[in-house]
This record gives sequence, structure tokens and C-alpha cells, in this order.
Amino acid sequence: MDRVVEAYKKDIDRTLLRENLKLTPEERIEKLMELQRFAEELRRAGHQQREKK
Amino acid sequence: MTDFKGLLRCLSERRVEFIIVGGVAATAHGSSQLTVDLDIVYRRTSENIQRLVDSLQPQAPYLRGAPPGLPFQWDSETIRHGLNFTLTTKLGDIDLLGEIVGGGKYEDLAPHSISLNLYGVSHRCLNLEKLIEVKRAAGRPKDLERLAELEALLEERKK
Repeated sequence: MDRVVEAYKKDIDRTLLRENLKLTPEERIEKLMELQRFAEELRRAGHQQREKK
Repeated sequence: MTDFKGLLRCLSERRVEFIIVGGVAATAHGSSQLTVDLDIVYRRTSENIQRLVDSLQPQAPYLRGAPPGLPFQWDSETIRHGLNFTLTTKLGDIDLLGEIVGGGKYEDLAPHSISLNLYGVSHRCLNLEKLIEVKRAAGRPKDLERLAELEALLEERKK
């Protein structure tokens, strides 16, 4: 397991983590909800596109 | 979409004793990965189970993924006879966990939790070190990438 985790770790975008660490926990959860909204919008748009075909 | 703020408010208004674990705990610690449900470990005392039932009652909790019409009674008896519940509610998805692999129950996890002020209320959240420990104990392939990120977060915090 350790080797797999270490392999994944090499590809972690640490700049993203450093930016997150500048936020408060509440701001991080707000950001998560924004991300959820965006993901849902993408799903809706994809679905709409498939319906058109 | 899950309204984390709304769910946390419901629970805190009824003074439910719980600890935030899983993806939202990871987010609170700085994870950048998307999660869609709120995972909590709740204290399994009679009083707390009743508070939990009362807190979510207005949000029409129902078993997630169950076929519509399947009988499901949301009351303290149901909670007492079960342990872990994956639910969908009007505010989104929530997992109620009586205990977790590698971490145990509320009383076991409480010493490894931190107090977080979220939306003006203090909530218990599993600390990063214990979150890593329980993810390792669970050993699920889907968690390995998240585990790597959590360990990287720990390294970043120590810098």
C-alpha cells in the first residue's frame, strides 16, 4: 500500500493544497459546495447535449 | 448537491453529538478532492439517538439507493437496531456511522478530534492524523489517492 500511496503522492498538486491551507475550514467547505454546483452544471449540460443527438 | 451548511445546522440546533469524518473532514483539513456526502460518526446513547432522529426528521431521510416505496421508518428504534445508515435527505446525502473501521465509535474517536468553528457553531472533526489512520485501516483502493493527498497535506502543514 505504501508504494502505491507514494506513487500517487508524486502527482499531487501541492500548489493547490497550499492555496487551500490559506483558507479557513469554513471557506474550504464553501469552495467544496461551489465545486459540487459546477460538477452538477457540467452533468446537466452533458445530459442536455446527449438528448439533442 | 448536498447542503453541508444546512445539514450541520440541523444537527447542531438539536445538539446532536457527532464527529465529522470522511470527505468533508478531508476538505476541512485542506483536501481539494470533491465529495458529495456528509459522513458523521454519531454517539450511540439513547438521548443522542433521539436528538439525531429529531434533527433530521424535517428533512425526510430515506435510505439512499433503495427503491421508492420500500418501507423505512425514521425513528429511534430503527437507529438503535442498526448501526450505519446511508441516507438521502432534502438537504442532500448524509452517512450516519455508529463506528468506522480503524477508528471505532464516537467515544474512541473523540480524543482524536478537533473543534472547528463552522458557520458560527463549534463542531467536532476528526484530526488529520487520525483521518489518515482510518483511511489506511479501511484499505480501499478508491481511497489510496485521497490518502496520498492527506499525507501530502500533513507534510505541508509541518513545513
